[in-house]
Amino acid sequence: MSQARTVFLLLPAFLLVGGVFLLPFLLLLVTGFWTQRPDSWIVEPTFTFENYARLFTDPYFVTAFARTIWLSVLATLACLLLGFPVARWIASGRPGKSLMALLMLMPLVAGALLQTLGLVNLLSLLGVVNGALKSVGLIDSSIRFLGTQLGVLIGLVQAFLPLMVLPLATVLAKLPVAVEEAAMSLGASRFSVWRRIILPLSMPGIIAGSVLVFCASLTSFVTPQVLGQGRVPTFATIAYQQAALVLDWPFASALAVALLVILGAALGLVSLLKHKVLARGVPA
Amino acid sequence: MNILGRIGVDAVWILIIAFAYLVVLAPVVVLIFSSFDAGSIFRFPPREYSLRWYEAAVESREYRSALGASTLIGTLAALISLVFGTLAAYGLVRGGLRAAPALEAVLIAPLVLPLIVWAIALLQIYAWLGVSGSFGGLVVAHATVTLPFTVRIMVANFSQLDPALEEAAASLGASPLTVWWRVTLPLVAPGLILSAAISFLVSFNDVVVASFIAGAQWITFPVRLYSQLRSQGVDPTTVAIGAAIVALILIVGLLGERLFRWSKQL
Amino acid sequence: MRTPLKFPMYAAIAGAAALAGLTSSSIAQDKPFEGQTLVVGVWGGDIERLLRENVVGPLEEETGANVELLLGGTGDRVAKIYAERNNPTMDVAFLNIYEAPQALRDGVVEAPDPELPMYQAIWDGMNNGCYAMSLVGLGIAYSKALVDSPPEWADMWNPEYKGKIALAQYPGSEGDGLLGIAARLEGTDETNADVAFSKLAELKPIAMTYTNLDEIFTLMEAGEVAMAPMISGYVLAGLKEYPGIGFSFPTDPGPVLIRDMLCLVKDSPQPELAKMFAEKALGIQNQTAYAQELFFGPTNKNVALPEAVSADVVDKPEDVDALVALDWPFVISQRSEWTDRWNQEILAD
Repeated sequence: MSQARTVFLLLPAFLLVGGVFLLPFLLLLVTGFWTQRPDSWIVEPTFTFENYARLFTDPYFVTAFARTIWLSVLATLACLLLGFPVARWIASGRPGKSLMALLMLMPLVAGALLQTLGLVNLLSLLGVVNGALKSVGLIDSSIRFLGTQLGVLIGLVQAFLPLMVLPLATVLAKLPVAVEEAAMSLGASRFSVWRRIILPLSMPGIIAGSVLVFCASLTSFVTPQVLGQGRVPTFATIAYQQAALVLDWPFASALAVALLVILGAALGLVSLLKHKVLARGVPA
Repeated sequence: MNILGRIGVDAVWILIIAFAYLVVLAPVVVLIFSSFDAGSIFRFPPREYSLRWYEAAVESREYRSALGASTLIGTLAALISLVFGTLAAYGLVRGGLRAAPALEAVLIAPLVLPLIVWAIALLQIYAWLGVSGSFGGLVVAHATVTLPFTVRIMVANFSQLDPALEEAAASLGASPLTVWWRVTLPLVAPGLILSAAISFLVSFNDVVVASFIAGAQWITFPVRLYSQLRSQGVDPTTVAIGAAIVALILIVGLLGERLFRWSKQL
Repeated sequence: MRTPLKFPMYAAIAGAAALAGLTSSSIAQDKPFEGQTLVVGVWGGDIERLLRENVVGPLEEETGANVELLLGGTGDRVAKIYAERNNPTMDVAFLNIYEAPQALRDGVVEAPDPELPMYQAIWDGMNNGCYAMSLVGLGIAYSKALVDSPPEWADMWNPEYKGKIALAQYPGSEGDGLLGIAARLEGTDETNADVAFSKLAELKPIAMTYTNLDEIFTLMEAGEVAMAPMISGYVLAGLKEYPGIGFSFPTDPGPVLIRDMLCLVKDSPQPELAKMFAEKALGIQNQTAYAQELFFGPTNKNVALPEAVSADVVDKPEDVDALVALDWPFVISQRSEWTDRWNQEILAD
């Protein structure tokens, strides 16, 4: 493809992201180094490192940052584990796959607010989940889900599993069944078919799904806010508290920029890795 | 592997699938049951059943206009996201650029920034430009937030596509545009449908960006829901509307399957 | 740089919207504000409904103007009027008492004008920063199954209820009010923050931080939460649905006085209409409806409520005197620091 055509293809998206995303981001970059006096909510253009210093020296924020990333990693792994079988089932063209694909879309359809409140009902100490676990004898006393990392994790998986399953299914659907069968008929074990054929060919889907679930978990606000009950502060809930309740705008800016810079680096790394894996894995 | 082992593996497989659907659908089931609750609070299981909240939903002019605003904004945002995102994804996958991973990361970046902080910064810029509270301002904001979904999904789809297919068509004398329209896009149709659906739904359900960016004439459904939720609690009317939307999507999807067999694309 | 204005789609839609605005506004010509739009930032739900009935409807009728309600929480509105302060789009903003004085100090809202009749109709000393809109008290919602009689503040510290006290998200009037109470129980006030925080920390572990009433009421009725400090008003209106939950106005010390404020945004596009809106919102009809339907106490001296309504509502000078008044400007100045302390000293395990 010619250079000019590539530029033409990329231009609209970059104009959009450049104008609507990068411009506000530059503003955040600047205000993150500005000052807000204690007796005012107006930002003053006086340079300071104070906001970043506070962010990286206060254990509360550092812990919250680590917790956010940890929860997002767990949510991504859980979604991959639960989502892969579902995606393969949908992609394999078995009966009922259209209904299954539709049902998988439902968490995106019904809206986070109402579903999270539904989860509060289900997961409370006397809720349906604890009741069911007790009645089948798995537990004796109620498990505390609300206000714990486990509860938030359940909420994240519920909300974002579709972001793993559906992109994965569109990629898996292109995986030629014939290749698999041929390998099997040639005597390859099921395990080696998986390792050598299915997994490498699914990689673009796995990466797409993982990136989406990871990022969505990272910035998810409603789920940790409601299911965490104030005990599981994450970057998004702290950003909300600082930006909309405390109105410490420079500090909120610093928070956002720090998150993006660190994750931008991480994402870039994953992206590079992906290209290495693809270059090695796909039999062209 | 012996037969028994295979059956065991399949059973585990099916159990995982069943568990995944249990987790994903449980809150949706709560939503549907609660929508028929006669009381005016959100609880599960309901104690008495009635249709009063559906009646209230149909009668409410405010909710009608909010749903209309959400649908219009979601459709336009999804359209922009789909077109811009698909073009960019194709350029990233087939452009042969060495910087492709970095460029992709830039397009995905809106997914990583806490939306609330970004939205307030965008609001300052809009206010400065004098377009604060405008319809177009909200649409492009939503298009930007949903663009990463399209880019990520379409990059995955295009990179799975065998370039030989397109080359074959081109060698038969088809113009590049024809190849794209007749060969490339149909092959990635499931990805396109999915990108559009996710973009629409993300925009439709967004409350954080819209709370700051939406003007008074364009109050969306989630903003209306949330503005009451925070001070008072859930308006059961919104639960009925939520359940109705779930039912609508299911019916349309299943009907579409019967009529057009869309899942063949999948 | 590409601005959103350059999208042809945007232009087309703006054109269509302008056209729609023109056609709908070209009916009666004798009305002074025909075709003008007033934007009011306010909470959703019953407040929106009452404002539409008592203020928006009559105002549109009289002036021919179009009144748009921009729904959201107070934080959204404050962020918005600060972000847009050089180019405001909102004319009227309903804020909390813990935001209004600061907004005035920062020059984003108009100072209340003592010469205006609507200023003078409000109880003396209430218009801090903006016009006082309604009076509510911070009391205690409690589970009747766990708490036998309407509790006093000190009962929250009863060991019997340890781990069963819930709090609203912080910063917010509920949390600041409770800090004030905790300090007073120790014989001091909120300016002595160390005492307030260490007293409050005795309540740990906190059962939960709630973000909306359904959530806390569900858990309270299930017996997972015994008590939570809450602002009278919606709570009283919502209790009809929850027979197992009661609300107490403590007496020693009394409830904390909390006010909703009505602010006129500085340099807003429609200052005249904004004032007319404020007159109606602060007027007798609207404030009576607030009291009767939402249990929000009137600030207007001329509102007379039926005895049955008056019982649950802060509406008389002696009611107000019985309430605890916080030093709000001081509380606001501590907001960032107190938020850190709250996160780490009260919520952390």
